[in-house]
Amino acid sequence: MTPRWTATGLSQDLPKAVAVAGYGHGHDLAVWRSATGRLQAWNDRCPHRGMRLSHGFVRGETLACIYHGWVYGTEGGCKHIPAHPALTPPTTITVTAFACVEQDGVIWVAPADMAGSPPAISGMQPLRSISLTCGVADVLAAEPTLSGQDVLRGLVQIGGQTCGVCLVVQDSPAGLTLHVLCGLGADKVAASRWVEDLRRRAEAKGAA
Amino acid sequence: MIAAEVLNEWYPVAMAAQIRAGQRRVTQLLGQTITVDCQEGAIVVIGQGGALHVTEAYGHVWACPGTPAHDLFPIPEASEPGRRLVDVGVVRVKCSPLRAVENFLDIAHFPFVHTDVLGAEPHTEVNRYEVQIREDSDEVWATKVTFYQPQAAKSSEGGIVTQYMYRVAAPTAAVLYKTCPNRTDAWDVIGIFVQPLSEELCDVWPWMALYDDVSPQAELIAFQQMIFLQDRSILENQIPRLLPLDPGMEIPTQADLTSIAYRRWLKKRGLTYGAQMVAA
Repeated sequence: MTPRWTATGLSQDLPKAVAVAGYGHGHDLAVWRSATGRLQAWNDRCPHRGMRLSHGFVRGETLACIYHGWVYGTEGGCKHIPAHPALTPPTTITVTAFACVEQDGVIWVAPADMAGSPPAISGMQPLRSISLTCGVADVLAAEPTLSGQDVLRGLVQIGGQTCGVCLVVQDSPAGLTLHVLCGLGADKVAASRWVEDLRRRAEAKGAA
Repeated sequence: MIAAEVLNEWYPVAMAAQIRAGQRRVTQLLGQTITVDCQEGAIVVIGQGGALHVTEAYGHVWACPGTPAHDLFPIPEASEPGRRLVDVGVVRVKCSPLRAVENFLDIAHFPFVHTDVLGAEPHTEVNRYEVQIREDSDEVWATKVTFYQPQAAKSSEGGIVTQYMYRVAAPTAAVLYKTCPNRTDAWDVIGIFVQPLSEELCDVWPWMALYDDVSPQAELIAFQQMIFLQDRSILENQIPRLLPLDPGMEIPTQADLTSIAYRRWLKKRGLTYGAQMVAA
């Protein structure tokens, strides 16, 4: 798999001290933001008993597994095992960390050694993420004014006005997710309805 | 092709009282459709190849799809006078039947999964306990297990240090013995009987034999159901769904001695239905 940046969510949907499930570069991810706002993306699996870390809880600058409370600190190293409070965990107990940045209101992930920056999306405001049961080709077929591959861009009609939109593609085995941004002057309620309408049209194309 | 070692074991397939009440049960066992029924007063289990070996014990119907390698394991406490026998019902879990048993043997998760009931921070430490595979009965036993619990049982008032013993009596059945809040000279007994529907799906039948004359039956059942539903939120989110038997895939600690012994015991006996053998 060629290393590249993958969008896994919008910044606005991940508050401080919260962990969520994400996906990127062929891996289920635990994407989380520490109490001070630091963003991280890890393999979504505790090395102890395989529990999804995205179900875990954030305390300060650490993420703990919800099953046995194993605490992981910066860069994924295990810092504390509650069943053995006096033990210093071996440095071999580590969760694989991915590169994770937020740019233009979008959270991007890539392999840890990824160089460069994600695609720039300027002059847009984050709107919402939406899951679809069809493919990217169906989205392009439903809205021919859009073009692109990983980032779909175009000018569309929203509430009687021409509006720039940007749909960032996240493809995973669970299905297609689009992280949508719209022009700074756009009516966000109308834009959100447009997104839902686009989903219906694209899924109809996919089912046809 | 399922190994003979797996086919020749006993598995729970129904609650006996429900079958005797005329509730015929069509279900799965090791991926095969079976029917549990009551015919002229006798409980029968019919599979695609005909009738399975059947026995009735501890409130449940047990079936063996092969030739039984031995009798169903004993729970002597089940026939002790004064105990209340509680059939808790069924919880369906999308996980390996072996993961369901392993979770039942685990205490370190109490403060995080059963918070303020079976455990609470900062009382998270698991003291050293003893584990052995008993050659005579061919069972895994963990003894001298202790843990601080805010509400150890329905009948508990306030926190206590609970003593436990754990016993793996069959590949998909385990029994625990824990401090009885009402009596100092006896253990409460709780079993989980796990029906392997497939390698990644199971029905869990908890069962209890308690000294508790006070709590209403519905509350005892609700308490145990709450505990198992909390466990389910874990069991359905472990990766992989199968239980890894080879070291390397998961990292245990001293608190996991029972789990380590259970995995070794399964591997040695060839009981690999629901297990992952090669590290992915």
